[in-house]
Amino acid sequence: MSAELERYRGNLRYAVDIVLCVDATGSMYPVIDAVKRSALQFHQRLAGVMGRKGKEISQLRLRVIAFRDFGDDPDSAIEQTPFLRLPEQAEEFAAFVSGIEAGGGGDVPESGLEALALAVNSPWEKGLDRRRHVIVLFTDAPAHPLGTVGVAAQSYPRGIPRTMDELFEQWGYARSQTAVMEQSAKRLVLFAPEEEPWVETIGEEWDLTLHFPSRAGEGLEEFEMDEIIETIANSL
Amino acid sequence: MRRGDVINGYRLVSEPTNAGGGKCVWAFAEKGGREFFLKRFLEPKLPRAGASPDTPSVRIRLAACRDFEERHRGIMRRLRPDARGAGNLVLATDFFHERSSYYKVTERIDTDSLAEPHTLEPAHRAVLLRTLGSSLKLLHDIDVVHGDLKPANVLVQRRQGATYHTAKLIDFDDSYLSGRPPGRDAIAGDSLYGAPEWRRYVQGDELVDEPDLTTAVDLFALGLMAHLMVTGALPGHDERYGSPADAVNAGEALAWDPRLSDEMTALVRDLTAWDPGARPSVERFLAVLRDPEVCALGAPRASAPPVAPSRTSRVRFSGSSGGSGGSEGSGSAGGSGAGTPPRSAREDADEAPRRSRVRFTPRGGGAAHDSRGGRDERRA
Repeated sequence: MSAELERYRGNLRYAVDIVLCVDATGSMYPVIDAVKRSALQFHQRLAGVMGRKGKEISQLRLRVIAFRDFGDDPDSAIEQTPFLRLPEQAEEFAAFVSGIEAGGGGDVPESGLEALALAVNSPWEKGLDRRRHVIVLFTDAPAHPLGTVGVAAQSYPRGIPRTMDELFEQWGYARSQTAVMEQSAKRLVLFAPEEEPWVETIGEEWDLTLHFPSRAGEGLEEFEMDEIIETIANSL
Repeated sequence: MRRGDVINGYRLVSEPTNAGGGKCVWAFAEKGGREFFLKRFLEPKLPRAGASPDTPSVRIRLAACRDFEERHRGIMRRLRPDARGAGNLVLATDFFHERSSYYKVTERIDTDSLAEPHTLEPAHRAVLLRTLGSSLKLLHDIDVVHGDLKPANVLVQRRQGATYHTAKLIDFDDSYLSGRPPGRDAIAGDSLYGAPEWRRYVQGDELVDEPDLTTAVDLFALGLMAHLMVTGALPGHDERYGSPADAVNAGEALAWDPRLSDEMTALVRDLTAWDPGARPSVERFLAVLRDPEVCALGAPRASAPPVAPSRTSRVRFSGSSGGSGGSEGSGSAGGSGAGTPPRSAREDADEAPRRSRVRFTPRGGGAAHDSRGGRDERRA
């Protein structure tokens, strides 16, 4: 627990966990630097917005999951960090993010759903008084159906759902008995093309999900980062 | 959802955004030559058409959607746009779902660019605050708690040719019936404008139950907003605390702007009392503001030491005095005033980290029995 957190424990304490799922396939090459830059600036920008609103976050943790394609190269299909506490572990976070190189992936679709499933099953903070658990996914491609590509590979994540319906049940909904995420805490922000599964299956049918259409070759615009920060700041 | 889409006849004329909203996306829209504000809720979502209602998942989701619809339509029934005085409430004109998502529509309000109400003349500030108070009174008269009163939910408008700015209250989506709030994890609210009892409820304080969250939650926020709109800033507090309510819960006095009139100081002090039962009603708020001079700022004076509100204390200790309901009055309540938590809570704060372990005034006028057998709750 940080010194900041110890300051006065009677205060209402907010924990914010964010998982960034980043498509690191070759087609993201023109925009990966913008995504990385935004990720690295994220903490400061969020703190700035919160400060202007007179609010503060008691604990902020970020996790990054870079994904490519199990159908192309299973060994490089997923690279990830555990949750890193910011600002304390900012260097570790920056080192990982800076090291992400866009490449591989072969043809579309990619393994974005595996990354999303890993994110949903993250070890989310359960303490403090109020929590925000936010998954942000950046991709310019549709995704392979879960459990269809690369499942036999050693590197394929164990324990994640093998169907879209199972993943939906893990994401959950109000009064769900199967959700692994806290209903009042969770948000999903998708920067993904208007293709499946992003636009209808998830963007329309999953609750607490914001879908912002992305186009190949176009990156994370300024307003999009604002949308993520607004999603967090306005709900605290 | 994007600019140009047509949703139930409403054509979006701006790019959707979640600016200012936590659980929605909104855009301006046009229908029949009129302009509207259209909001898409991020939850709940209806199961896709054709989904079998026999599966537990679909059954649960349909039930949640039914409850959601009922709650919204219930508030729409209670808050009719044609009700007397409803002109300053921005009420829903349509509520529907398309595919899996629910939408709500209100008229589009062209707001004034006024960013700093405190720069207005006192009489103008008084009108602004009175229109805000009148809007809140309409809600409280039908026992509805706004639940998320904050500057972002108050639109300031000055109609063409009008002399005064008026406040329009928006966003009743988190409203609830007084004493019947949503669950501790689900209740909405703002970390800066939240009332002490709201924060204790959110924090899981077992001594704050659903019935403790009443229209007085809004009154605390109203007190903060009055201070903000008159002076340009919220009341100050020790930097150890994350918000005014945190400070109040710890028994610390808020610091009022020394330029405030005596009447306004007393009003905002009472509205931000720790005990919800000690806060004055909206009627009292409106009565004080009848004199616009209360909104004037004088020369800075030395800050007076915090004083207890003049009314009789209604703070009780659970189960003290032999379980007869505890002491009533500031003296025997640990030296605190009506609007502050008893001394035990302040000691807790000083010794951090212990939360206030004190119940609010019992509801229903009965003796203050500790529901769990009269145990002294001052110290766990």
